[in-house]
Amino acid sequence: MIFGRHSVLKRGCSTWDKQAMPQEEFQARLDAVRREMARQNLDALVIYGDNYSFADLCYLTNYFPKVRGGIGVVPCNGPISLLLNIGSRDVPFAKSLTWVEDVRASGQVGRDGAELLKEKGLAQAKVGLVDSGKGFPLPQLEEMKGSLPQIEWIYSHLLIQQMRLQKSARELAALRRAGRVLNEICDGARDFIKQGRKEYEIIADIDRLARDKGVEDIRILAGEKRLQPPSSKMSAKVGTHWAIYLTIQHDRYWVETGRTHILSGDAKLQTAYQKAQEIVAKMATQLKPGRPVATIDETARKQLGEFYAIASIYGLGNGVGLSQWEPPFLSEDEARQVGSPSVGAAVLNENMTVALRVTFETEGKLILFGDSFQVTAKGPVSLLG
Amino acid sequence: MNGQQEFENRIAKVRQAMRDKGLQTLLVFDSGRHNFLRMNYVAYLTDFIGVGPEAVLVLPLDNDPVLYLSPAWDIDRAQEESWVKNVQPFENFWNLLSKGVGKAGLIGREAMHVDLHDEIVKALNQAPVNAKDIIENIARRKSGFELERLRQAAIIADAGVQALHEEAHVGLKEFELAAIVEYRMRFLGAEDNFGMVVASNHNQALHPPTDRVVQSGDIIIGEITPCIGGLFVQICRTMVLGQPAPVVHEKYAILQKAMGLGMGAAKTGAPASDVAAAINGTLGDAGYEKYCRPPFMRVRGHGLGCGSSAPGNLEDGNQTKLEEGMTFIIHPNQYIPETGYMTLGDTVVMTQSKAEPMTRSSWDIFVKE
Repeated sequence: MIFGRHSVLKRGCSTWDKQAMPQEEFQARLDAVRREMARQNLDALVIYGDNYSFADLCYLTNYFPKVRGGIGVVPCNGPISLLLNIGSRDVPFAKSLTWVEDVRASGQVGRDGAELLKEKGLAQAKVGLVDSGKGFPLPQLEEMKGSLPQIEWIYSHLLIQQMRLQKSARELAALRRAGRVLNEICDGARDFIKQGRKEYEIIADIDRLARDKGVEDIRILAGEKRLQPPSSKMSAKVGTHWAIYLTIQHDRYWVETGRTHILSGDAKLQTAYQKAQEIVAKMATQLKPGRPVATIDETARKQLGEFYAIASIYGLGNGVGLSQWEPPFLSEDEARQVGSPSVGAAVLNENMTVALRVTFETEGKLILFGDSFQVTAKGPVSLLG
Repeated sequence: MNGQQEFENRIAKVRQAMRDKGLQTLLVFDSGRHNFLRMNYVAYLTDFIGVGPEAVLVLPLDNDPVLYLSPAWDIDRAQEESWVKNVQPFENFWNLLSKGVGKAGLIGREAMHVDLHDEIVKALNQAPVNAKDIIENIARRKSGFELERLRQAAIIADAGVQALHEEAHVGLKEFELAAIVEYRMRFLGAEDNFGMVVASNHNQALHPPTDRVVQSGDIIIGEITPCIGGLFVQICRTMVLGQPAPVVHEKYAILQKAMGLGMGAAKTGAPASDVAAAINGTLGDAGYEKYCRPPFMRVRGHGLGCGSSAPGNLEDGNQTKLEEGMTFIIHPNQYIPETGYMTLGDTVVMTQSKAEPMTRSSWDIFVKE
């Protein structure tokens, strides 16, 4: 699985485009979640999210935490509440990002979360705990559970994740917008990647380009022989070869690409890069409704032969959406790397969105290609346009 | 002191504390979410900042430490960047635990998920002792090695402020203002940034930028926090596009006075609350006492570090004594009804007797015609 360096703060453009993602979209999601809660006899859900893993919380509320985490409390009836680890002066801004009216600030989400559940009459209820990103800090969770000894806790980490698998029309539109922005960034990046420039200077240029286009967050990994995150220790100058993994969060949705910049014009490397693109294209041909997810991996194995193990070192792909890594995962191993108990979906369905990538080494250089796709009845459609 | 000496020094201190507590093995965990609000104890002991969900440094009393890491593809980088040379895939961690490690302490519990904690307890057949204090105590005073990095970060923070002064103009969107600062600092090598830059003729608070278009007369406020080598330095400043109303100068002068008195109160040996009291007292005397409390304001600064955030928040009731080598931000940022929220703050290091600013930008409000 591919991981970028997590940022301390979501510091890109933070708005809510109510035309593109109106409240009615969230109401429909809430209704669906409540139907599932009723089916499972749950009185309420407690959904944890933080700036690392916000997908489930954001799916219902449109809110994404900027720094520390928080919880959403969803009773089977009545208003839902957000309890966020922010200052009380930050509440008006938080409210500008969500339709939820009851937004509260807390320095101790565990303690105050327990009080909130009591206030809602849920102290003896059956409550589903949703933390698919495995981020709920242990001391806070212990405090909340310890204060509510009569609650029956049910681990419901997959409840919302399953609903997020197939994207709605508005979600697909958001993903395509994000894809177009990422495509523009990829195009613009070519002008920055020059021999002799320091790696972190190039990354600064790409980061600026992305932020000027209104991205909410960005991850960059790059290098000649391996991918690595920006670091003050990364002062090497770019030579004739640079591979770059780039993923952006735009209007809450993540899309990713991988590109290799061969500045030498070396024919062998060019051929290898072409091969990487062909393999990703072959893998993408499997992105049709009804196909087993496992066929993507099988196709990669067939195409890569003895190079499969190396090519899959950064993972061959995964679902993308409100999370950088979400179902469908291509293998149990990749699911496990992000703490997911399973691949999440054995069969592809229309309007799932998937990132695919291939990496391998040729002539001592890293070759990387990746793209993000929508599964349609007619086959894969690149989200990058 | 070079990096290897610094590491050996830290490890020696940790081992002494382990002996004092009767611990045979220390497990130090991080979840790949580097931050100054929650310490990264693995980075403190290894000089390596992971990207994956699991990094555990196993430090036995006598044998060499081992860093267990996910994802496995990051091991090469860890071996190059880290002071720890034995880096292994995270899966191997379970083999080690199954062999027994004696009485174990755990650091980094705050970043750990309950499932992982439960698995560790099961594998160890014991609940490891929460040993966070070991590193918190050692790291509360910054070493020369750390101060060198912090000074480098402070230069970059000042450069971020300078970039904003040079490039901010009417017509930009807030997120473009923020990108100006980010770009300058990243270009100088900053690894990350806790950065908020917003603009309004009446700011309510700091927050991440929106798409609001900057207007003439806007007050631009910024909290800028670049990271170098895992250490963050923060600076807060205010600028105005166009000539501000006299009331802005008048009220900003209160922040400057509060900043001066806050700095003066930061004496080695004094409690952290003294700084908050000096700042709140100044604002109270000016008639803004109620605005010194929630929902408007609470803390007047906070510690900055990688292994310890001592002295913690600069707020009422914090009796932590300021010690030589502690680093923290003093920021009398304040919402004032006549002007909105304005910002001013510097990261300081405690010397033998007093606080010394690390950032150098002028405290004056910057006016750009």
